[in-house]
Amino acid sequence: MERPERRSLLDDYPAFDDIYCSLRALRRMPKAVIGETRRAVELARRFNREVVRPRALELDLRKQEDPDHLPWDLVEEADRWGFYTMFIPRLFGGGGFNFPALSCVLEELASGCTGIANLVGVHYLGVATLCSSWNLRLMNRVMRDTVDGHRNGKPCLISLAITEPDAGTDVEEVELVRKAKVSCHARKVKGGYLVNGRKIFISNGHLSTWHMLIAYEDLQHPETSTVMLAVRNGTPGFSFGRQEHKMGQKACPASELIFEDCFIPEENVCFDVRQGNAEVTPEEIERIIMQVIDYVVSGSRAGVGAFGTGVARGAFEEALRYAAETEVDGKLLVNHEWAQCLLAEMYKNVAISRLTYMETNYANSLYGMFKALNYRPVFYLMKLLPRPVFDRVLQPLLDLPAVTRLFRKIYFDWQPQAFTRRTSGWASLSKFAATDAGVRNCQLALEMMGRAGLRHQGRVEKHLRDSKLLQIYEGTNQLNRLNLFKCLIAPKVPQARVFEE
Amino acid sequence: MTGGAELQMLRETAASFAANELVRDREERDRYPFSPLPLDVLEKAHRLGLFSLTVPEDLGGGGQGIRALAALLAVTGETDASLGGVIFVNALAQEICLRSGAEGALAGLIEAESAPQALMALPAWDDPRITAPSLRAVERDDGWMLDGRAEYVALAGLALRALLPADTGKEGVSFFLVDRQSGGLGLSDPLVSHGLRACPIWDLGLSEVPGALVGEEGAGVRVFEEAYSRMLPAAAALAAGILRGSLREALEYTKQRRQGGRVIAGWSEVRMILAGMAMASQEADMLVREACRAVEEGYPGWRLAVRAASLRAMDLACEATTDGIQLLGGNGYMVEYHQEKRFRDSRQVQALMGAQDLKRQELARLLLEEGLPG
Repeated sequence: MERPERRSLLDDYPAFDDIYCSLRALRRMPKAVIGETRRAVELARRFNREVVRPRALELDLRKQEDPDHLPWDLVEEADRWGFYTMFIPRLFGGGGFNFPALSCVLEELASGCTGIANLVGVHYLGVATLCSSWNLRLMNRVMRDTVDGHRNGKPCLISLAITEPDAGTDVEEVELVRKAKVSCHARKVKGGYLVNGRKIFISNGHLSTWHMLIAYEDLQHPETSTVMLAVRNGTPGFSFGRQEHKMGQKACPASELIFEDCFIPEENVCFDVRQGNAEVTPEEIERIIMQVIDYVVSGSRAGVGAFGTGVARGAFEEALRYAAETEVDGKLLVNHEWAQCLLAEMYKNVAISRLTYMETNYANSLYGMFKALNYRPVFYLMKLLPRPVFDRVLQPLLDLPAVTRLFRKIYFDWQPQAFTRRTSGWASLSKFAATDAGVRNCQLALEMMGRAGLRHQGRVEKHLRDSKLLQIYEGTNQLNRLNLFKCLIAPKVPQARVFEE
Repeated sequence: MTGGAELQMLRETAASFAANELVRDREERDRYPFSPLPLDVLEKAHRLGLFSLTVPEDLGGGGQGIRALAALLAVTGETDASLGGVIFVNALAQEICLRSGAEGALAGLIEAESAPQALMALPAWDDPRITAPSLRAVERDDGWMLDGRAEYVALAGLALRALLPADTGKEGVSFFLVDRQSGGLGLSDPLVSHGLRACPIWDLGLSEVPGALVGEEGAGVRVFEEAYSRMLPAAAALAAGILRGSLREALEYTKQRRQGGRVIAGWSEVRMILAGMAMASQEADMLVREACRAVEEGYPGWRLAVRAASLRAMDLACEATTDGIQLLGGNGYMVEYHQEKRFRDSRQVQALMGAQDLKRQELARLLLEEGLPG
């Protein structure tokens, strides 16, 4: 067969590159990733054993008694263990662990408590949002703030503030935000923006120091006027409102953020498509905004997939423990054939969920946000260069506008649409597959355990409460199904239109 | 059997009670044990006769059948299933007493001045046919003495009497009535449960606690079997009521909430979920009606019909209340919208009288023993 014919066969639907991300990624993966991931999982398992499991139930009860309680002690503990800096690239002063290993850590933590896993994971949602702007100067400033906080014993977390009272699903998709009723207004003023409005359901809001705020210059046309602003606690006009009273994931507050004539100076503007690019067309603006959203969700939804996997595993482990020590009809439950099949089903749900977030991470490493860091020479350079080189030689370069322009050129202009579709489609697949599996396993565990699972001490009922939120945030599972369709199915059907029903 | 008009009147009374008493403060009541027990609601329910609906008239009760109880539980389930939980636990305890031929055990309960005097505690999430009771009962010259631990006893810290299964040795499981104020009886702190939080639950520790044998010694398994077959539709009705409440809330919300420039009920995927919930709700209601008919008519194979219909209705409630949250998005996960409570309550109801998987195994056993009718 001639090369073009072979290429054509492989590009036929489903395209080889769309469905075998891992095959391609493994060849390019630096070997050190394996050892590093092992170390990350070891640390997470130790943290789980020593901190998460002993404190999860007590914290959940404490929040039920006092919904306004904030778990600063746990945040400080997680920071002492290095969880808030270990995945920040060494270029910005962090531990430099490979990003895909974050998912493995989140699975481990979520198997003990999804709420506590969120205390760590949501910080990296903020990091991912910041990085998706490719504003190297601000990335350096904000992440080094987190690193300094770690050194000084004052955790400095980053949150993403995007959801609004009347716009939840809408803000995750440019086609929807076009018709959305958004209200967080950023008015361009001399030297920056003046922000007014409210954000709700902001995970880790009260516990974070920096907030990546998504606001809109023109509330009638949010799809072409989105701006991303970095807001630090203490900024005049910015305050915290109430904490939501959630069913589960109580360790992680869902906060209201209030902006009243809050001035954000130019130096804290992370991203505004028109920055230095006045000629850009509305279509180009929409494409770039969707690109930014896709970079964020391609990473964050893999993380939520890991949460789903973790909670599915937590439920499985509790069910297994129960089955191994409970007698039914004169013999241990674990020796009843039906229980063995049920436990196998639960194990399968965990394993398949894990495969989906791993595959998504392979896609991200090849085609998405992690691709530069996973390029072997860059990977080893980042590992081997002494810290002073980063701190004294490279850091000043990050302040140069040309560096930000270069990265934006690479990640916005030179990024093939097929790459973005692949990462975003897989991330959605992982998100809804793993979180559905999480809820499912919790339900299966309850049906096996009965009242033992319903008791708070049984942990399963908490896993179930925690798991349900996973089907909602980072885009409802319905939105994620639509996004999968848009990214991985619709290209096969030119007449298909998404969000235009 | 309850007549149609009588049943309708009961539904209206229950609906009026739910609207006047259960809507207000249900969020606060559901915080138990981090908020006070809702004694005022229980007292009003007692005065209305809701705790004695199925007790025979000659014993001072309402003399109603399973259909009436199911109707009452469906209505309360729709608004606040916790009260339904209290009614169910108490009715199951009464049914066990009646099936034991121990009508005397109900004496005084109906005319009791207060709800705690009227109610009976029961480990209502247990099936003593499958899980052997951990309490032991020994007969002495001065009567029966109970020792051991009884876990997950609903209403134990509220009701003045508890109906507890205990192992009497060679005769097997028997039921005993125990006075909560007896010396030697210790209560745990109230447990934090997944759902039905205002139907409170405690663990009990008993040391040399006198108990009154209910019915015959060793009749516990038979009695529970009879009570189980008759009461399963009531638990299913509570589940169906929760489901209906979840659907009603979701329907209202999806007609109001706008995303993507239109009310979300205008999006076809939302309609698919709504349709699924409506199908589940209608199916659950039909299953409950059929299960009640099976109990009342006792046609060939009625016990199989009751089990299959009731277990299915409980499953449907769990599935659909998950969608009930989903349709409200982030708001559905917040306590103010009550969907999360329905999600939890449906699971708590599903596990009544034993873990759902054990109930499935029990159904299969019955099917294999008795085969299909006709």
